[in-house]
Amino acid sequence: MILIFYYLFLGSFFLEGNETTFICILLLCFVVEYFIDIAKSGVEIYMRPIAAIKAMEEAVGRATEMGTPVLYVPGISSLDQIDTISGLTILGHVAGMTAEYEANLHVPVCVPIVMETAKETCKEAYLKKGRPDLYRNDMVHYVTDDQFAYAAGVNGIMLREKPAAVFFQGKFYAESLILAETGNSIGAIQIAGTGSSSQIPFFVTACDYTLIGEEFYAASAYLSGSPEMLGSIKGQDYVKVCCMVAIIVVFVSSLLNGLNIIDFDITSLFRTNAIK
Amino acid sequence: MKRQIAYFLVIFIGFLALAGHFINYPPLNNFIDNDATQWFDIISGFAAFLGVINLLQLHLNKISNKRKNYQYSFITLLGFMAMIVFGFIYNGSEAAMGPHLKDEGSAFYWMFQNIYLPLGATMFALLAFFVASASYRAFKIRNFEATLLLVSGIFLMLGRVPIGQLIPWWMAVEIYICLFFAVIANRFSDRKIMLYCLTSSMLVLPALILYFDISNLPIFKIPDLQEWIMDVPATAGSRAIMIGIALGTIAQSYRIITGRERSILGD
Repeated sequence: MILIFYYLFLGSFFLEGNETTFICILLLCFVVEYFIDIAKSGVEIYMRPIAAIKAMEEAVGRATEMGTPVLYVPGISSLDQIDTISGLTILGHVAGMTAEYEANLHVPVCVPIVMETAKETCKEAYLKKGRPDLYRNDMVHYVTDDQFAYAAGVNGIMLREKPAAVFFQGKFYAESLILAETGNSIGAIQIAGTGSSSQIPFFVTACDYTLIGEEFYAASAYLSGSPEMLGSIKGQDYVKVCCMVAIIVVFVSSLLNGLNIIDFDITSLFRTNAIK
Repeated sequence: MKRQIAYFLVIFIGFLALAGHFINYPPLNNFIDNDATQWFDIISGFAAFLGVINLLQLHLNKISNKRKNYQYSFITLLGFMAMIVFGFIYNGSEAAMGPHLKDEGSAFYWMFQNIYLPLGATMFALLAFFVASASYRAFKIRNFEATLLLVSGIFLMLGRVPIGQLIPWWMAVEIYICLFFAVIANRFSDRKIMLYCLTSSMLVLPALILYFDISNLPIFKIPDLQEWIMDVPATAGSRAIMIGIALGTIAQSYRIITGRERSILGD
C-alpha cells in the first residue's frame, strides 16, 4: 500500500530520485518488524554467540577483582553520529554491570553534549540496578574537544590508573591506535566497537575483542536480551541474506549484459540522487 | 513523565528527519537540511559551557581534596587560564579583540601556533611508533591468516616504495617460489628433497617463463600486484563491512525512533 501510494504521488508529494533508498529502508523495516512480531509471539530466536559481547561482563568482573576502574571511551564524535549513540547505549549496559559488581567506572568524554547524555545514561543505569549511592558525578567528565589532546588525556588516565578493563565504543579516527596500543601496554582487557571501517584493523590488532560492523550496532540489543530486540537483529540478518542474493543477481546480470547476452543494465536501478 | 517526554521527542524528531528525505515539502526539507542542524549546533554550543564548568569543577575538587596526582590539575588549570587571558583579556597585537585570534602578532595566535599545534603534531607523530608495534604483533607468524597478512603486507610495502619498481620479474618469481615452499614445507619429510625441489624450481620456472615470453604479466610486477591486492581483496572485504555497517545503522535507527532501544535513556 505504501509503495503504491509512493509511486502514485512520486514527484508531487514524494521527492524523485530517492526511490531505491525508500524501498530498501521500507523493506528492512518491514522485515525487522516481522521478526520482532515473531519474537514477541514466543518463538525462541537463536543468536550467534559474539565473543566480544560475552567478554564484557568478564572484563568488568576482572576489574572488580583487581580493584581497578573500568575505563569507557565513547569516541570523539558528537551525538549526530549513530556510532556515538550506539556507544552510549552500550555504556548503559556496562554502567549496569559496574553498578552490580560495585566496580569503579570512569568515562572521559570529548564532546560536552555527549558528556551530558553519558551522565544521564549512567545515572539511570545505576538507579535501575538499585545502586544510586554508587553513582558519582565525576564518573563521567569532560576532557577536551581536540582529537589528539583527548587521546593524550585518555592515555594519561590509562597510565596513571591502570584500568583492568578498557572499552572503546563509538566513533574513532586516527587516535584509535594510540589509545588501543596504550591500553595494550598496560595489560588491560580491551573491548572495542566502531562503525569506522578504516579503524577496525587497528582495533583488531591491538584489542582483545572487537565488535565489527553491524555487531557493534547490535550489541546493545544483544545485551538487553529482550525478545523484541533479538527479533530485530534476526530481521537484520535476513536482510543481509537478501543483500547477498542481490549481489549475486547483480553480478550475474552485469556479466550477461557485458557479454551482450541480455540488453538490460541492472545497475541503472540502483542510481540515487547522490550519484546523479 | 520526564522520560516519556524524552521518548516522545526522540520518536517525533526521528520520524520528522526521515520524512524530510522523502517528502517533497520545501519547508520540511529546509528544516531538516538547515534549521535542525543549526539547532543542534546551538545546543552543542551551550553544552560547551557545561563542559568547561565540569572541567573546572573536576580539577578544583581534585586539588582541594588533594587526591592522587592532583599536581597535574594545576597544569590543566594553568593552561586553561592562560588561554582565557590571551583570548579575552590580553591581546598583544594591534588587531581588535575577536579578530586578534587570527592575527599573527597576537599572543593567542602565538600560543596556538607554538604550543598547541606542536603538541598535537607530537601526539600524531607517536602514531608511527604505535603502527610499528601493532604491525609487529599482527605480522607475527602464528597461523595461516597471520602469514597471509604478513605476505600481503610485505608486497604492499614493497609495491609502494620506489625500490618496488626496480624489482625485476625474475626476482618476483623467486619470491613467489620461496613463499610457496614456506607454506608447503611441513609436507616434506626429508629436508634434502625439499632443498632439491626448491632449487630446481628456482632455476626451471624463470627459464620456462622466459621461454614462453610471459615475463610481462602484471603478476610478476610487485607494484601491479600491490594494486591488485588493494583493488580486489581489500576492497571486497571493506565493502562487506560497509554493507553490514549500513544495515546495522538502519536497524539501530529504526529501534531508536520506534522507541524500542531505550538504553541511551538508562532503560
